[in-house]
Amino acid sequence: MSLGGEHSGGFEDDRVLVAEYALGLLEGGERALMAHRIATEPALGAEMRVWRERLATLDGEFAETPAPAGAFGKIERRLWGEAARPAKWWNSLAVWRWATAATAAVAVLAVGFNVVTPRPDARALATQLVAALQANEGSGVEFVALYDQVSGQVRITSLSGEALAGKDYELWYIKGDAPAVSMGVLPINQKREIPLDAAAKAGIAAGTTLAVTLEQKGGSPTGVAQGPIVAVGKITPI
Amino acid sequence: MTNSSPEIAELISRCALRDRSAFRDLYGRTSAKLFGVVLRILKDRAEAEEALQEVYVKIWQRADRYVQGGYSPISWLVAVARNHALDILRARKPVSDDIDMALDIADGGPDPEQATIDKGERNRIDACLATLEDDKADCVRGAYLEGFSYEELATRHGVPLNTMRTWLRRSLLKLRECLSA
Repeated sequence: MSLGGEHSGGFEDDRVLVAEYALGLLEGGERALMAHRIATEPALGAEMRVWRERLATLDGEFAETPAPAGAFGKIERRLWGEAARPAKWWNSLAVWRWATAATAAVAVLAVGFNVVTPRPDARALATQLVAALQANEGSGVEFVALYDQVSGQVRITSLSGEALAGKDYELWYIKGDAPAVSMGVLPINQKREIPLDAAAKAGIAAGTTLAVTLEQKGGSPTGVAQGPIVAVGKITPI
Repeated sequence: MTNSSPEIAELISRCALRDRSAFRDLYGRTSAKLFGVVLRILKDRAEAEEALQEVYVKIWQRADRYVQGGYSPISWLVAVARNHALDILRARKPVSDDIDMALDIADGGPDPEQATIDKGERNRIDACLATLEDDKADCVRGAYLEGFSYEELATRHGVPLNTMRTWLRRSLLKLRECLSA
């Protein structure tokens, strides 16, 4: 595959530029331009891989040096410190109260057709939790999850995203500092009710994170997520 | 060694799932290496500590971009640290997001055998560097490991800047041929 098109010298020029970039020899605008070309031109990306893979074998020569005490605390504060996160519309309680009111109205209509009309259960409404799983890094995959603690079921609806051949989307919950726990594989473009086991019922509460990863067909075989996160969101009480 | 590739790869995955204890563990196992990288390139302890913090913030935020079975996980971490230190060195601030996008491209392709051939590659790059004249091989190593610019290399070797460029570009082409041979 030609890297530099037809003009003479282009191939070698580009090869040298990628090598210079990989070594860190380019500066300022040249460095930024080359980074852009490597990110957008597949042939240059492939050339970059060759250099990176080969040069990485020199990494052993970087001597380990204990990091300064207290550095990790500063990193944690940078990541999760007092700084308030910008509010997103799906974090707005008003939006979800409105959405639930609409759902409740539909539910009232639905039960109207039942022979036995259950009493409106204020407690059931009070214990509903929602999570909007927004697309991560432009994946285009979004879900909404609604958890009813009375029925012990999570109803998850896919809002957008495409099914990919040979792959499945897998849902996880992440509680505090514990590893993510799988809740199973999700269909795209449809609703799905997931009954929770006792451990999941105990684990899922306001503040728990739900995440969807892209895994091999049938989901991760190891019980540990292996693919990229395509959607993620926090559970909020309504 | 406790820093086996699969363990580090798993910790990065758990960071992608927002597991803070995994992040703490990853920091514990890799921060000495990454601090070594930024310190060697920046050559200033205070600046290196600042850079180290920024590097781990980046690792947490970009953990989902690491593809398992691709790049060896520690190489990916070193590349994030090295790129960040070079950004600081070259521009005193990150030039653009493209620097990080270029990193993704370099890591992204499926290359499951890569992690296992590191030892063979190590011998090959040593062998290929040995085909260059000593001072030119030193320049390549100095650029990669110390972050030296063309200008610094020219000063160190007592040659004009343009001579250094010509030298090194020729050497890089020769090295490239050897590496793919």
